[in-house]
Amino acid sequence: MISGVPPRWAYWVALPVLVLVWAGLAGTLGSPLLPSPLSVLSTLVEAAGAGELWHHLGITLYRVAISFCLAMALGTVLGLWMGRSPLASAVLDPLLVLMLNLPALVTIILLYVWMGLVEPAAILAVVINKVPNVAVTVREGARSLDPKLEQMARVYHFTGWQRLWHVWTPQLFPYLMAATRGGLALIWKIVLVVELLGRSDGIGFQLHMAFQVFDVAAILAYSLAFIAVVQVIELGLLQPIERRASRWRRLELSHA
Amino acid sequence: MLELTLGQRNGYHPVLGQVQATVHRGDRICLLGPSGVGKTTLLNVIAGLGRQALPGAVRLEPGIRLGYLFQEHRLLPWRSLFQNLALVGADRERAVYLLAQVGLAGYGHYRPDQLSLGMARRAALARCLAVEPDVLLLDEPFASLDRPRADELRQLILALLDRHPQMAMICVTHDARDAHQLANQLWYLSGRPAQLTRETLVTEAAPAPSRVSL
Repeated sequence: MISGVPPRWAYWVALPVLVLVWAGLAGTLGSPLLPSPLSVLSTLVEAAGAGELWHHLGITLYRVAISFCLAMALGTVLGLWMGRSPLASAVLDPLLVLMLNLPALVTIILLYVWMGLVEPAAILAVVINKVPNVAVTVREGARSLDPKLEQMARVYHFTGWQRLWHVWTPQLFPYLMAATRGGLALIWKIVLVVELLGRSDGIGFQLHMAFQVFDVAAILAYSLAFIAVVQVIELGLLQPIERRASRWRRLELSHA
Repeated sequence: MLELTLGQRNGYHPVLGQVQATVHRGDRICLLGPSGVGKTTLLNVIAGLGRQALPGAVRLEPGIRLGYLFQEHRLLPWRSLFQNLALVGADRERAVYLLAQVGLAGYGHYRPDQLSLGMARRAALARCLAVEPDVLLLDEPFASLDRPRADELRQLILALLDRHPQMAMICVTHDARDAHQLANQLWYLSGRPAQLTRETLVTEAAPAPSRVSL
């Protein structure tokens, strides 16, 4: 029987142990290919002090934000349309499956070839990779919209906007949240690849440069900074929003 | 002001057969019939919620407003009663008035899931009234309420009908007692496809006009 709340310290075990093992290994090997945690930290501080880190981090986050917003908007519209219209769903479904199975790398390379190594190509590549995931998730939500509330909205002549905001959005919220979560995880992996292959700034580009000279300390420093930012967004933004979503989900159940 | 002509060439419906009726202002109709015969379906058709469009089957006088009290409250569970009422055009002042009318004064900030079944149904009734309906459609308004709650709601509806003598009502019910208290006309649906037969009740000293002050 698994039960009870784990103690608070449980969270603080794995990561410190990892750092200790890392420090131990680095000390034993003494190789530049595995720098010690301290030297990574000093590289990080140095890059941050020079402003370099912030510049590249900012550029990458900007790309993540833009492509995330575009992908969510397009994917939501597409998903709603496919969820509400069986015909649209039947026609577009093969295309969706194709796009879901298209490797991210293929889109990126093709767009760079066709459009050149330009910013719109980079953003578009990320968006194209993300849209099908959002669409599939939102379509699921749109299919499960409560028909009884639809009837109510018709009888009481709700405007399109009222229907969208007051009737649909709360029901779609868990699905939008799922798309957001999965979306961010996917997008910042793809953004790094896009930067590595065709941009001259951003974390991906810096990793590329460090890779060229086998500067492992820089690779780890930039990765850590990036992971830290991702964690902050996760804890500070997504989890609070999701707590509200779960409240709505409970309401939805009691309503049914 | 409301004319039903189903069963003609233009109004074929898979569940409902011959349904010919006219509703006038002030008509108090109870719709009776075995369960599953299509009573709710008929209300839905009147409300324009038919699965398929039935051109010409339901003719509403222009400008006629419908208030529909569904069997479930169908309020938006994630919005307060005030917000639910605002969505059908009742500003705060009017919402306060309407909620007081249905005995829910002070509950404006509650969400439907925080109310009991009976209260939620009365809140839904307040939403019906918010649109100032010319025709009030009630789908089993007393179903699954305990006796006191059902009586309370019945008195409320009687009082409403008294206050709005021009308002027509079509009320689906199983209960003949409801029918005789609320209605001056009975509609029976039976068979499949369902046929409508009508009976006008002779007002035996106008069914004890309730004078509950609200």
